[in-house]
Amino acid sequence: MFPDQLLQFLLSGLTIGSIYALIALGFTIIYNTTGIINFAQGEFVMLGGMFMVGCTRLLHLPLPVGMLISMVAVMVVGVLIERLAIRPARHKSIVTLIIITIGVSIALKAGTAFFSKDSFTYPQFPGPGHLAIGNASLPGQSLWIIGAAGCIMAALWAFFHYTIRGKAMRACAINREAATIVGIDVERMSLLSFGLSALIGAVAGIMVTPTTQMAWYRGTELGLKGFCAVILGGMGSSPGAVIGGLLLGLLETFGNYLFSGYRDAIAFSIFLLVIFIRPQGILGRK
Amino acid sequence: MKKLFTTLAAAAVCLFFCAGVVQAKEATPPVKIGCLFDLQGAAGHIGMASKLVAEMLAERLNKAGGINGRPIQLVMGDTESNPGKAVIEAKRLVENEQVDAIIGPTRTDSGMAILQYIEKMGVPTVGCIGGTPVVVPVRKWMFKSPQKSVTAVECIYMYLQKKGIKKIAVINATDKFGQEGEEALKALAQKYGVTIVTQEKFEMSDVDMTVQLTKIKATDAQAVICWTIGPPGSIVAKNVKQLGFKIPLIQCHGLPDPKYLELAGDAAEGNLMPATKLMVASQLPDSDPQKKLLLEYTDLYENVAKIGKVTTHGGYAWDAFMLVVEAMKKAGTDKAKVRDAIESTKGYVGVSGIYTMTPEDHCGLGVDSMVMITVKNGTFKLAE
Repeated sequence: MFPDQLLQFLLSGLTIGSIYALIALGFTIIYNTTGIINFAQGEFVMLGGMFMVGCTRLLHLPLPVGMLISMVAVMVVGVLIERLAIRPARHKSIVTLIIITIGVSIALKAGTAFFSKDSFTYPQFPGPGHLAIGNASLPGQSLWIIGAAGCIMAALWAFFHYTIRGKAMRACAINREAATIVGIDVERMSLLSFGLSALIGAVAGIMVTPTTQMAWYRGTELGLKGFCAVILGGMGSSPGAVIGGLLLGLLETFGNYLFSGYRDAIAFSIFLLVIFIRPQGILGRK
Repeated sequence: MKKLFTTLAAAAVCLFFCAGVVQAKEATPPVKIGCLFDLQGAAGHIGMASKLVAEMLAERLNKAGGINGRPIQLVMGDTESNPGKAVIEAKRLVENEQVDAIIGPTRTDSGMAILQYIEKMGVPTVGCIGGTPVVVPVRKWMFKSPQKSVTAVECIYMYLQKKGIKKIAVINATDKFGQEGEEALKALAQKYGVTIVTQEKFEMSDVDMTVQLTKIKATDAQAVICWTIGPPGSIVAKNVKQLGFKIPLIQCHGLPDPKYLELAGDAAEGNLMPATKLMVASQLPDSDPQKKLLLEYTDLYENVAKIGKVTTHGGYAWDAFMLVVEAMKKAGTDKAKVRDAIESTKGYVGVSGIYTMTPEDHCGLGVDSMVMITVKNGTFKLAE
C-alpha cells in the first residue's frame, strides 16, 4: 500500500516545494545584491494572487492579459518599495533595512485588507482537471506551478550567466565594493533586484492561487516558509534556494504523513535544526 | 450697571441649567449594546456580515421605536480574530462605553478569552460562537446563538444512520473549533453505532491536505467528515475531488455559505453538511414555523440592506441581537434582570432555529434546528 501513497506524497511535496523554491529565489536575489533579507517577499506572492483575482474576477480579462498586468503591477510595487522605503535609508545598517522590509510587509497587508478581507480563488488554468499518474493524482494546476517554477529557474540561470546585467548582479553578490570599483552601478542593481524578486513572487502567487486560494494575510506564512527554504538551502546560493525549497516541500509532506496537523511545526523545526547544526545550509558559503 | 450685568448673567446661567435639565428629561438615553465582531483576520468575512446584520437590525428596531421607547445604540469592537484583542475590546466596551449587554464575539478562542472577564463584571453576553466550551459547563452570564457542535454532530450521525453508514474517517483542523468537533464526533460515535476508522488533522494555514486524505483513502471508511471553518474546508473538498474519492464528503455546520461554493467551485458538488434552515428557506414546507421569518430575513439581507448572499453566520448575529432585545423588552436594562430574562427565553422563533433556554442550557437550540443539505448544481438543496 505504501509505494502507491509514496508517489502521491512525492507529487504533492514537489508542487508545494516549487512554490517555496520560487519564494526562496526571490529572497536570494535581493540578499545577494543588497545584503537585505526582504521580509516583504511573501507579500509579493500575495499581491500577485490578489491582482490576478482582480483581473479575472472583477475586470474579466483574458488569462494571459491578466497575468501580464498582475506581473507588471507587482513589479512596480517592488520597484516603488526600493525607491521609497529602501533607498532613502541605504546608508543605515542592514538590520535597519530588514526592519524596514517588515514594515513594508505590514503596510502591504493592511493595504490589501483595506480592499477586501475575504479569501479568493479563480478557476485553474487550461489543461487537464486532474492528472492520474499510477495510483496518484495531481491537479492540472500543479503542472503549471512546477512548469512555471522550472521556466523561471532556467530563465534566471540564463540571465545570470549570459547577460551583462545578470553578470553585474552576480558581481555585486561576490563583492559589492569591487563591483563599484569596476564601474557597476550598485544602486541600479538594487532596484533591479527588487523588481526581479517581485516578478518571481508575483508568478508564484498567480500560479498557486487556484489550488490554495489567496487572502491578504496569506503572504506572511508563505514568505516565512520561503525563508526556511533559504536557510535550509544556504543563504545566498540560488541552486541552494531551489534545493532548499523542494526539500522543504517534501520534508513537510512526509512529515505530515507521520504527524498530521503539524506542517508548520515541521518546517520551523527543520529551520531551527539547520541553524544549530549547519548554519550555512546545504550549499551556502560560510 | 455692573449689578444688572451680574443679575443677567446669573439668570442666563439659570436658564441654561434649566434648559439642560429639561433637555435631559426629553431625550431618553439610548440602550447601549456592545458588538464584538472579528472585522479582520481569518474570520473577517463572518465578522463583517455580523456587523452589517446588527446595523440593519438596529436601524429597523429604532424605526419601530427601539426598546420600550429607548433607541438602541450599537458600539462596535473589532476583535481582529485575535483572543487578546477580544479581551481588550470587551474591557473597553464594558468600562469606557458602559454597554448594557454584549453580542459576539465570533470565534471560540475569543469567546473563551473574554469568559472570565464577562463573568467577573456581570455583563449579559450572547456570543455568535460556534464552539461549545463557552456554554458547557454553563456560565452565569454567557449565552450563545449558534448550535453546539454536538448538535451538528447529532444531525450528521442521524443522517448516517438513515443511510446505513457505519464507518467514517475524520479530518479536522487543529484549532479550538476543529478539536471540539473531533471530541464531539468521538464522544457520540458509539451512541449512533458509528466507528471512526481513522482520524487526521491539518493546520488552518495548510494549503494542501492530499497527504492526510491519501491516508484516509486507503481505509475502508464509508464517508469522510471534515471539521473546520473558512478556506481550509474548500481545499479539503478540492483535494477529495482530485484524489477521486468514491465516498461522500461531509462538511461541518461552519461551512454552508456562498463563499464556500465560490472557493470550492465544482469540488463542492455533492458535499453534504448540516445547516440551519436558512440556507434552504424556500424549499421548506409552508407549515414550518420559521419559514416566514427566514424569507423575510433573506429579503432584508439580500435586497434591502444589500449585504450579499445570506450566510448562516449573519443569522447567528441576528438571533444573538434579538435574544438580547427580547429580554430587554421584558426586563429593562438592569443587567441581572436581562440575564434572567435571556435564560427564560421560551420558544423564540429565530433565524437559526427555535430557542428555548434553561438554566442548564445556554444555547437553546436542539437537533431539530438543523437539516442536512447538499450541493447540487452550485446551490444548496435539502439532502434526501
